[in-house]
Amino acid sequence: MLVNEIMRKPVTVIQATALLGEAFHQLQAHGFRHLPVMDQGRLVGVLTDRDIRFATSSLSPAPHTADDPVSLAMSSPVSTADPLDPIEDAARIMRDRKIGCLPVMDGSELVGILTGMDLLDALMLLTGVTKPSSRLEVALADRPGELARLTAFLADRHVNIHSILTHPGADARVRTVLRLDSNQTRPLAEELRADGFDILWPRPKPWQH
Amino acid sequence: MAALIHRPEYAGYDFGPEHPFTPARVEMLLDLIRCLGHDVTPIAAPAATREDILTVHDEAYVAMVESLDQGIPDLEADRFGLGTPDNPIFPGMDLAARWLVGGTLHGARMLMTGQERRVLQLGGGLHHAQKAHAAGFCLYNDLAVAIRAFVDHGWRVAYLDIDLHHGDGVQNLFYGHSQVLTLSIHESGHYLYPGTGHIQEVGNGSARGMSVNIPLEPFTEAGDYLEAFESVVPRALAWFSPDVLVVQAGADAHFADPLGDLALTTQAFQALYQRIFGLADAHAQGRVLLTLGGGYEAQAVARVWTILYLTLMGRAIPERLPAEWLDRWRHLLGPDIGQDLHDPESAIPELAGREARARRNRDVVARLLDSVRPYWI
Repeated sequence: MLVNEIMRKPVTVIQATALLGEAFHQLQAHGFRHLPVMDQGRLVGVLTDRDIRFATSSLSPAPHTADDPVSLAMSSPVSTADPLDPIEDAARIMRDRKIGCLPVMDGSELVGILTGMDLLDALMLLTGVTKPSSRLEVALADRPGELARLTAFLADRHVNIHSILTHPGADARVRTVLRLDSNQTRPLAEELRADGFDILWPRPKPWQH
Repeated sequence: MAALIHRPEYAGYDFGPEHPFTPARVEMLLDLIRCLGHDVTPIAAPAATREDILTVHDEAYVAMVESLDQGIPDLEADRFGLGTPDNPIFPGMDLAARWLVGGTLHGARMLMTGQERRVLQLGGGLHHAQKAHAAGFCLYNDLAVAIRAFVDHGWRVAYLDIDLHHGDGVQNLFYGHSQVLTLSIHESGHYLYPGTGHIQEVGNGSARGMSVNIPLEPFTEAGDYLEAFESVVPRALAWFSPDVLVVQAGADAHFADPLGDLALTTQAFQALYQRIFGLADAHAQGRVLLTLGGGYEAQAVARVWTILYLTLMGRAIPERLPAEWLDRWRHLLGPDIGQDLHDPESAIPELAGREARARRNRDVVARLLDSVRPYWI
């Protein structure tokens, strides 16, 4: 599952020259917590509800006011995601940086936004990737015993599985993504193919037979 | 000229006949260099001590390696990444790994005393080994032990990892360390082991911007690879201005490698090596410590690393492979070996999706530079 399948679009943005008061009302009106900040069409920051609360707090030594520009309170530089990134990678970036969203960039164009809430929606399909591992993608027939056949194959070779996620593919087969504790996934994939499994990744190299 | 480090004991780092990280690769390499008429007399370095290992690894982990080495079974081995298909347990593994660490550390010491400016350790490069965890064929992290010694000597260290896989162990061990810049160019971790090395991993605290990752699309070829390298590495080194450059020179980005999906040729490796030595001269006072690393197609790695050796020594690259060497290693060379040291022209066909890959690689480099350059001031 990739970022572009679960990101929100279109994205509501705010200009760097806009005032904090406007930003506050925009967040309230939409029920958002994150606003990508643009300057001449370029993404330059993200303004969160927390940024505004801290910047304007009376406890702050020099509180900003509603008439100050957004650029004074926004978070910058911004971590971003690519539409084709797998969502487990996006989740890890957000957790590591303790940030609540990732603007999604296709080249220099802002095409979506991914928030922690979007990732919670996908939780049942994904688990973490906190350990060194590699990714094996298999298309399984949608019938009892297929996943067991796959995991038994791996168990026979003493390969530990860090995570499995499955979701229905477009072709009525079950897309199964495993993260394996193995640096030898390509040779494993070849053995699995020889055993009749349809391996989507690793693919055979175009220059080898 | 440069110093070479190797000793026969390195061959003891052997996970068995079914395992890809086989010592035969380095034997074939040494034999090829010799058959090409070069008198190789490597320096035999002492093994690293337990104390050397403990400069980067946890005591509990080292104790576990030692105890499994002695054949004492332990249900906790899994927790330390030991006894897996990637890192099988074998008798003598503690010392076998310490020989490799010792070689890399000895190379570091030769640079620190000023005895040498260029050192090639014909082994080591165990970049996946973590603080308390074996991983990806790597028991002890020789690179990190050497980097730690440089840092203790007061040097700023730039680490460059050209292995197919992300140099996660070295990156993690120095993630918040402002005296160490880690640069890794590798196949994207979206699919490939170890699953990390994304552009957003830029370092922690005062070391923000000092962890730099260039993940490339599967099937990326020489042109895109060298372009990405050129966009990032020279300016990172110019900014950081290290006292020494440490290079993990894994050869598994070669197109014939059975574990990976990058598509470098021997010609690309030669260009890459020349560039690395130029950068060491320009930005690291000419000091460079190289190790080997990954690379699992024997006929390819022997040729790639021979080109590394010849480039390092400033020797001409001969056209042909010696018949004597071909005969001796025929059983390991496979059907794809030709007569030449370099890959044939057009070794790989025109690949579909080249444009899309190039665009995505450029996007990734641009986004990487956007996220690290603010810290490079």
